[in-house]
Amino acid sequence: MAGTGSSQQGRRPASSLIWLVPPVVLAVCTAAAALLTPDGARVPALWCGTAATLAVAVTSSETARRGRVIDALRRRSAEQEAVLRHRLVQQEAETQRLARELLPAAVRMLQQGASTEEVLREVAPRTSLDPSFLAAHRAVLRSVLEAVQAEEGLRESAHRAFVNIARRVQAIVHQQATDLREMEDRHGNSPEVFGDLLHLDHETALVGRLADSIAVLGGSRPGRQWKNPVPLYNVLRGAMSRIMDYRRVDLHSVADVAVVGPGVEPLIHALAELLDNATRYSPPQTRVHLTAVEVQSGVAVEIEDAGVGLTDEARRRAEAVLEIADRGLDLNDLGETPRLGLAVVSKLAKTYAFRVSLRPSAYGGVRAVLIVPEDLTTPSATPGGEIARAATLPPPKIRKKPGRPLPDLPFDAQAVASHSSGGLPQRRRRAPGLAARGVRAGAAAPAAAPRHQPPAEPPPQPGMWLAAFTSAVNGEARPAGSGGPNSDESSDEKE
Amino acid sequence: MSKAGKAWDPGNPDRLYIITSGRSRTGKQAKLDLVTLVVARADPDPGLQPEHSAIVQMCDYPLSVAEISAYLTLPVSTVTVLVTDLLKEDQVEARPPVPVAALPNVQLLEAVMHGLQNL
Repeated sequence: MAGTGSSQQGRRPASSLIWLVPPVVLAVCTAAAALLTPDGARVPALWCGTAATLAVAVTSSETARRGRVIDALRRRSAEQEAVLRHRLVQQEAETQRLARELLPAAVRMLQQGASTEEVLREVAPRTSLDPSFLAAHRAVLRSVLEAVQAEEGLRESAHRAFVNIARRVQAIVHQQATDLREMEDRHGNSPEVFGDLLHLDHETALVGRLADSIAVLGGSRPGRQWKNPVPLYNVLRGAMSRIMDYRRVDLHSVADVAVVGPGVEPLIHALAELLDNATRYSPPQTRVHLTAVEVQSGVAVEIEDAGVGLTDEARRRAEAVLEIADRGLDLNDLGETPRLGLAVVSKLAKTYAFRVSLRPSAYGGVRAVLIVPEDLTTPSATPGGEIARAATLPPPKIRKKPGRPLPDLPFDAQAVASHSSGGLPQRRRRAPGLAARGVRAGAAAPAAAPRHQPPAEPPPQPGMWLAAFTSAVNGEARPAGSGGPNSDESSDEKE
Repeated sequence: MSKAGKAWDPGNPDRLYIITSGRSRTGKQAKLDLVTLVVARADPDPGLQPEHSAIVQMCDYPLSVAEISAYLTLPVSTVTVLVTDLLKEDQVEARPPVPVAALPNVQLLEAVMHGLQNL
């Protein structure tokens, strides 16, 4: 009867009262029966009544005890259920936190270069939970992290391999371009060979751009590095030279600035990709317009094509590519026909703070604007580029005003043809073998001469012609045909 | 011109085919020789390509094609194309060298020479 738990002390009197009711009633009945029955039956009736009362007392007390036990058990189980439910809720919350917060954070940390142990220490689960549950969570986290790390490692090594190969291709292409340039100089005289060399040169540049693209997507920088600032004009032409259809690009006015060395190659590459898109997605007979103007925040390079333009959806997709493609080259994204262009532009824009936007053009096509930040530009030292500077460089004799004689030419004193007092060239005796062939050789020589001679000294052969020419010019003010006096001199020299 | 050989490598991303838009030979009408003298007719138009305006600027005194090529460190074929462009636009004037046909026959000259020596 006793021992149902100390917590039920307060309720005991009520239940103990309840179980007393049947035996008391029976005892009263027994007493009444004993009083009412005749004397002969009184004793047995009393015995029976007492026995029954005792039996009922035992039964009811037992019943009451069991009831109390059941009560207690029910209460305890309810308490336990509440505890368990609370724990379940906590665990559910923790699992959700693992899925929604901890795992992404851990993967992010892992991708930023932290090790698995560091990440595990950093993203510890809440400590108020069951240790075994926490251990299980940690195990899940660890195995996920290890899988992610293995995958990252794989991607990393694939990147490295890609970049490595691209680098090698870049080196070969660069060497080849240099060689081609030398060959172009060497064979500048024969238009057929020269034309073929230009063709090869162009295709080499295309290969170089592809290698650059792969290197950039692999997280490396594009091929060459430039030490000195390069005028924007040359940068734009450099970009043009790397696309297939460069003949369709019209280079309009260009702001007179230069791009600092480190920014040159990325800018060339980004612009080449944009130009490539512009020429590729517009009809072949249309032109692509390329301009560059100075704006408040730098220089804006505009590329406008007359293609079909981008639909809203295509533009959104393109801008999405421009936005998100900073995670590097994902081999899975390279489908069967990889479209690297915008991804490359976006990557370069991220690294070098270019701002790129694609808008509808007034021509109906796309107007791509790339803004070069101010810190990548510098005032141009040679507006118009190397060529413009070269034009001011010729030795003094070139700077003479037309019509003035050239008496102080260094080779004039020892001129082959001596002049008589009348200004007419005089014949000079020579060996009879040196006939017209000598002039031929002399005419061919200047082609080679300018390259090999120190440039400060003018090549003598053209100078001879110059001397003859000027003397002819000075004779009468610019004769209509140089045939007359010149032929005299030529035949004279020949002898 | 002291760094003629280096003019292209360290500081210029241009390729030669860009300068001439891929043309390597001129039309048939212009016969420019290495020794053809080129002279500018006027100051360069502001809208010209830098190479063109450089040629016009240089040629305010007559220069041969070979010289232009040397000063610009551009191959002769490229310069020929550029000069042909300028000729078409009447920016420059070309003075052809002595046409070979106008020269007396070499044999004839030799015969004359020998005849004179034999006098």
